[in-house]
This record gives sequence, C-alpha cells and structure tokens, in this order.
Amino acid sequence: MAQTNSTGNTKHVKKRTMLQETWRHLIRNRGAVLGMLFLLFLVGAALFSPLIFDYEKDVIGQNMQDRLMAPCAAHWFGTDEFGRDLFARVIYGARYSLIIGVGSVFLGLIVGTILGSQAGFRGGVVDSIIMRGIDIFYSIPNIMTAVVIVSLLGTSTVNLMIALAFSCASSFARIVRASVMTIRDQEYVESSYAMGLPTWKIIVKHILPNCLSPIIVQITLLIGTTIISASSLSFLGIGVPAPAPEWGALLSAGRGHIRDASYMCIIPGLAIMMTVLALNLLGDGLRDALDPKLKK
Amino acid sequence: MAEDLVLDIKDLVVHYETEDADVCAVNGIDIQISKKRTLGLVGETGAGKTTTALSILNLIPNPPGVIKNGSIHLDGKDILKMSQEDLQKVRGNDVAMIFQDPMTALNPVMTVGEQIGESIMLHQNISKQEAFEKAKEMLKMVGIAESRAYDYPHQFSGGMKQRVVIAIALACSPQLLIADEPTTALDVTIQAQVLELMKQLIQEKEMAMLLITHDLGVVAEVCEDVAVMYAGRIVEKGTADDVFNHMRHPYTEGLFDSLPNLKQRGEQLVPIRGLMPDPSDLPPGCSFAPRCPYATEACTKSIPPLKSVEGSKTHFVACTAYENPDFSLRRNENGK
Amino acid sequence: MIKYIVKRLVMLVPVILVTSFLIFWAMSLTGGDPALMLAGDNAQPEQVEQIREELGLNDPFIVRYANYMKGMVTGDMGKSYVTKRDVFKTFMERLPNTLLLGGTAVVIAVLVSVPLGVYTAIHQNTWKDTAGMIFALFGTSMPNFWLGLMLIIIFSLKLKLLPTGGKGGIDSLILPAVTVGFGLAALITRTTRSSMLDVLRQDYMTTARAKGCSEKRVIFTHGLKNALIPIITAIGLQMSLVITGSVLAETVFSWPGIGRLVYDSISKRDTPMVTGSIIMCSILMCIINLVVDLIYAFFDPRIRAQYSKKG
Repeated sequence: MAQTNSTGNTKHVKKRTMLQETWRHLIRNRGAVLGMLFLLFLVGAALFSPLIFDYEKDVIGQNMQDRLMAPCAAHWFGTDEFGRDLFARVIYGARYSLIIGVGSVFLGLIVGTILGSQAGFRGGVVDSIIMRGIDIFYSIPNIMTAVVIVSLLGTSTVNLMIALAFSCASSFARIVRASVMTIRDQEYVESSYAMGLPTWKIIVKHILPNCLSPIIVQITLLIGTTIISASSLSFLGIGVPAPAPEWGALLSAGRGHIRDASYMCIIPGLAIMMTVLALNLLGDGLRDALDPKLKK
Repeated sequence: MAEDLVLDIKDLVVHYETEDADVCAVNGIDIQISKKRTLGLVGETGAGKTTTALSILNLIPNPPGVIKNGSIHLDGKDILKMSQEDLQKVRGNDVAMIFQDPMTALNPVMTVGEQIGESIMLHQNISKQEAFEKAKEMLKMVGIAESRAYDYPHQFSGGMKQRVVIAIALACSPQLLIADEPTTALDVTIQAQVLELMKQLIQEKEMAMLLITHDLGVVAEVCEDVAVMYAGRIVEKGTADDVFNHMRHPYTEGLFDSLPNLKQRGEQLVPIRGLMPDPSDLPPGCSFAPRCPYATEACTKSIPPLKSVEGSKTHFVACTAYENPDFSLRRNENGK
Repeated sequence: MIKYIVKRLVMLVPVILVTSFLIFWAMSLTGGDPALMLAGDNAQPEQVEQIREELGLNDPFIVRYANYMKGMVTGDMGKSYVTKRDVFKTFMERLPNTLLLGGTAVVIAVLVSVPLGVYTAIHQNTWKDTAGMIFALFGTSMPNFWLGLMLIIIFSLKLKLLPTGGKGGIDSLILPAVTVGFGLAALITRTTRSSMLDVLRQDYMTTARAKGCSEKRVIFTHGLKNALIPIITAIGLQMSLVITGSVLAETVFSWPGIGRLVYDSISKRDTPMVTGSIIMCSILMCIINLVVDLIYAFFDPRIRAQYSKKG
C-alpha cells in the first residue's frame, strides 16, 4: 500500500515523497490543522508549565481564604475547595493526560506489534493462542481490566499507564496481524525469503512499513481514547493519586461542588474534550491523507 | 418510420463535473432503435458506452454526472423530462438493464426469487407471494430450477448469476432491453450460452435491444445494427453488413485490424497506436485524429458530422477524409 | 444452526475458566488479608486464624480456585465481607438495573444514529453531512461521565426538570441513558455513514434503481440491509463501552447497577464482591458477543451458511 502511494499518482503532479504528499493533504484539511495547532499549544503548555507555575505553591499548595472563587481576573478558571488556582491545575494537568496517553499508547504499540507480527507471521498454534488471548481480553470491558491491574499493582501514574496499555496492545496486535497476513504471501516478500533475508529483517523492512498508515491513525485516535479512560479511572478514584491535578481527578473533586461551584465540573471536562477532539480531528485528517483510495 | 422507434436519442451530452475537471463522457450522440431490432454499441473502455446506457434510464449518478443536452424518447415519451414517479414506472417495466458484472449486480442479502419478484411486484401491483411464483417461472425460463428461487446469490456460479440478472431484466417483458457488456465477466464457454439465451428470449418476447460491448464477435453473433463509439461520439453506424463488410471509418478499421482472422492465420495483428484521449481534455477536431493513420491537417480543425454514406440509406460515417471522393480505407482496397 | 450455538456455548467454558482464573488470581494477590478485615480491628490472633480456617484461606491457591469454581457452578460465589450478603444474589439483584440502563442507552443510540448515519451518507459532502459529522466528532471526544455532570447541571440544577440521580420513575432513567448512549450514538453514526457510503457505490443499488424501485426502497430495503453487518459489528464491539459507560454513569447518577456495585466494592476492598462481579461481567460480555454473532447470521445469509457448515 505505502509503496504504491508515491508512484501511483504521479501523472499530473510533480513527484513527491509519500511524506510530502501526506503533509500536503493534511494541511488542506481545516479540522486537522486546527487539531494540530491545539495540540501544539497543549504540548507547549505541558512543557513550560513548570516554568510558569510553582508546583508546590500554585498547583498543590492550599490557600483556604481563596476557596471556591468563581472565575475572575485573578483566577481565570476560579479556585477549588482548597483555594488552589484551577487555571494552574488544569494547565499542569495537561502533563498528566499527555504523558499517560502517549506513554500507554506507545507501550501498547510495542507489545501489540510484537504480538501481532508473531501471530500473523507464524500462524498456526502461535496465532491461535495469541489471538484467542486477545479476544478474551477484548471481551472484558477495559475499565474492569484496568481496575484489576491497578488494584493489583497499586495506584500510581505508571501503573495506570500499564493498565491502559493493555487495551491499546490488543488493538494494535489486531491491526498488525491483519496487515502481516495480507503482505506475508505477497511475492516480493517471498522473493526476500528466497534471497535469504532473516525473518525479523523481513518484518522490519517489508511488513511494518506497510501497516504504518493504519498504525499512525490508530495511535492518534487511541491517545484520545486513552486520555478519556485515564480520566475516567481517576474520576473513579483509581487513577492518578491525589493531589496531582489530573483532569479526571479535578472532575471528581468538582462533582462534590456541582451545586455551588459548577465551573469546577465544567472546565476540566472541557479541557479533556478539546484535547480528545483535537486528536480525533488530526486522526481523521491523517486517515484521509494516508488513504490512497481517496487521493485523486 | 418514427412510430416504429422504441428508442430515440438525440444529441445527448453527458459530462461528469468533478472538482478538478469536466469529463466529457458523451458528446452529442444520436441513436435510434426500431421495434424488435438489436443495436450493437461498440467501443473501447471509456468511450462512454455505459454512460449512454445509464442515461436511457436516467440513472447517471448526480453529482458528478450531468446530462447537459439532448433528449431521450422512449416510445415517444421524453425520459429526461419525466418526474421521479413516472421514471420509476418506466424503469424495469418499459426498459430494463442487464449489467456487466453479475457478481456485484445482485443484492447479496436477498434470495434471487425475491429479487426477480420485486420487479414484478413493483410494476404489476400484485402481492409478494404471487410475484415470487412468477419469479420461479422466470427462473425456469432462463434455465434454472424453480426450487433455487429460495437461494441467495452467493450460492450461484457466475453464469447462473447472469441468468438471474437476465431474469430480473425480462421479468416485466420490457420493450427495450439494455445489455451492458453482458458477457464480459463470464468464462468463454459460458459467454456463448448466455448470449444464445438472450438471443432466443429477445425473439420470443419481441423486444428491442441495445447491446453494449467491446467484443465485435458478440456483435456479429447477435446484432442487426451496429454503432461504433469513440470518445463519446458515434463515428460510424449502419447495419451489421454495412459496418462489418463495408466499413468506412478508420477507427472501425483499426478495431477489425486488431482482431485475429481465422481465415488468414498468418496475418499480423495491427493494434491501434496510442491511447484514447483523456475525456476531460479532448482534442479540438476529430478525436481519433491523433491516432488515425489517414489523418490530415483538416482533421484537427473541426469535428466531422455523421453523414450518410453515398448510395446507402442505413450507413453513416463521421470522417473528414470522405470529402475527397477518391478516399478509401486500406482494408477495403485490399478486399477488392 | 442450533449445533453452532451449542458449539459456541461449549467454547465459552474454557474462556470463562481462563478469565475467572486470571481475575481470581489477581484479586487474591491484592485483597489484603480478608480474615483481618472480617475480624475487625481489635480481634485476637486466634479469632483471625479461625476465620481463616473457616474461609479456607489456608488452602493452597489452586484448591481455593477449584473450590471457588465448584461454588460458581451452583451460583455460590461467596459472601461479601462488608454486607455479608451472597455475592451471586447481590449481583443478580443489581443486574436488571444495569441491563435496563444499558439497554435503553443502546436503543436510544441506535434510534438516533442509524437514521442519522444514513442521512449523512445520502447527503455526503453537503452541510447536512458536515453537521452530522461534527455531532459525531463531539460525541466521540466527550468523556461520558463529564457529559453526565453537564446534563445534571443543565436539566436537574438549572431547569429542574429531571432528578439528579437514584432510581425512581422513568424520568430518572433519561439522563443516565443519554449519558451512556451519546458516545455510542456518535460511534454508530460514523460506522453507519461509512458503511452506507460503501453500499451506495455498489452495483446492486443500480440494479435496484433500474428495476424501478423508489429511492426510499433502494436505500432502506436494498441499502440498509447490506450496510447493517458492519453496524452490528460496531454495536457488538461497543458493548464493552456500554459496560464502561454504565459504571461511570451509575457512579455519577447513583444508579444502583453492577457498575456502582463494583465501584463501591473496590473502594471498600470487598474482594469476593469484586472478584464475583468482574467474573460475572466477563461472562455477560461473552454472552453478548454470542448474541451479536447470531444477529449477524440473521441478517446475512452468507454468514448463516458458514455457521451451518461449521456446526
């Protein structure tokens, strides 16, 4: 698939690499550009938040005389029940959401790719065992899995990441396996065999590049879902431990003040939604840009 | 003469308008078919044959397809001016269509009996059960056991599926049958069977047929009249005898040159050089001129109109070369 | 066909064994010492030891697992540490509430999303399509527990139309069901749209039009029936989302379902309750998956044929 992209559509257009071609399609997609800009802003905020705010003082330091202040000039997003500035907490929270989202997806990607390529390449018993395992795993709601894993390992950011990585892994394993199965029997792969290339080299050189586009799209979309899952678990109290300003934990705290300080419920949720929305916009844009069928 | 016409297409122009380009698929064609006659519409892939066929049912996908100009009279009524309701009454009842690929033309989640019966049910105002019974009769007519009406398309072979498609098309005994490459997707042995079946049924039901194909052999087998289409225009038309034995257009000659001749096995096949022009960027003059071995300066200036061939009422050709009375094709000279 | 169902049911057994083993193992590692919890803070060591003996906690792990499975066959999954009530019974009491919530959510989602998906597909690349897709995009981007909170703020606190939580009349079901159903609706809308777009391009749609079918008949009789398979797959795959959504919605709306049960048991470290509920949930998921597969067969003759052959 990837190979035909660059050569298939060169009739009218100047020859471009696949990367340039994809980029050109992507930046013509308004939604994707919007998503990218928001994500850039968010990454920037996450990176520089320690320079802007003092974690000990601004983010987790309590300040009881300022508690539950509605959004105003001094506190853009208001303050929580301990008088902590919500703006500082939300901006700082981006670090958690992004690190957990990206971390568990990449952890899942590594595990999933290994499992999926083994299943697809070896077939037979190995395939059956791996895929049945994944099927079983898939049939349990991932929040249950996460509950079991977190209660097994204890609540911490890393453990939450591991718990969420599990469901990402099964999703990647399926994609990789499906691609491997279709490519495995292609003649150019057979000819590489005939030339004596070792299996792992064939996987890395021929097979992985071919499932790159669905994987890239899946990474973007899964980061979004994982951020939601992470905040859900924190909301239930089994995610990132307090007093870290994870967005789901902020919502959980806000829930107690839904009557007197509804902004505490509204704002962190908006942050989650906009982040995931940006990721979904980018993911959809990438899907269109990488799909050779849609290119004219 | 005019009352005899089942189908009368005049100056039909169909474009596909996409963001990037305006694709001129059909550029002003005239086609007439009289009752009980069979016309073969011949041309390469991309010549606009299927577009023409779909226009007759007013089924051009819009967007991007737009019928720019022309009229299509079916038994005296203009299809292009009909309301949706009237069109639905005409489709399947007065005109029916057989599609190129029987593998994809049948709905995979309905039994074939239901699919044949649907057309009868829609047009004859009868219940589903009665329609199903009639569908069984249709199946028998195309040579499939009645009991198979309860089966689904995936349980049939390609040839059988095409028989089912034919049964659907003929279910309401239309006056005009449009067959769009009905045998292309089939095995050669099955092709002959299906063709034979169609020929027989058309005679039985006294239908007119528009047979679209790129296969001159099929035309010779079935058709009384022939129209040769190139880049959205009719370049030559006449009776089968006119076109096969007294061809006038260089493109027609090219088509025959690229066919193997059983009588002269030693002869080399001559392909037509070049490719069909991009229909979104047609040359200004005769669209065949860039590939034509006889082309002159004049050919690129204006589009030649379809003119009747001297001494014939049925034979027409669109070629500038015949303005020179001495011109004749190589093939015809050799033949003489 | 019946053979196939039986075969699938038999195949469930090893799946249930493996999952329950994993869950049982994980939970037995985490639960802390249940005997200590049961005995209370100022219990004598002998009392603790006695409870331990009674519960069979001194047996090796495998024996405990075997005993647990033996009990499970007869519907005995132990007693809650906290309420002392039978786990299986408690679960079964709560289950109808979750099924009601999840079921209503799925029904609402399907009723909204399938027509919307078909509509957007027919009007592809128009503003109607864009509007529908923006709705779907927001639906998939919103954490549903947050949507629940927003609904409470708007409909319960500001407009005072619906209750903030608990299980009462039909009005108490609306907000939780919308909360669970919204994200689902968004996903099904997207699937329906792309599946329908695919079907609209198929030749048999032209065949149907050429037969003289009205556009409505073409879309709904010929189109939707074919587009349904991927839609059912999507709904089936999202069942775990429904369960997840229910856990969260039940927490937000204090809805007495199994999600709430699991949440409460976790926070109270009620190991038998958690173990039992999660095992039962996974069995429930397996059954739902089987039902989804059977629904496929109902809609697609090709799959039906495959099942009969295999069976």
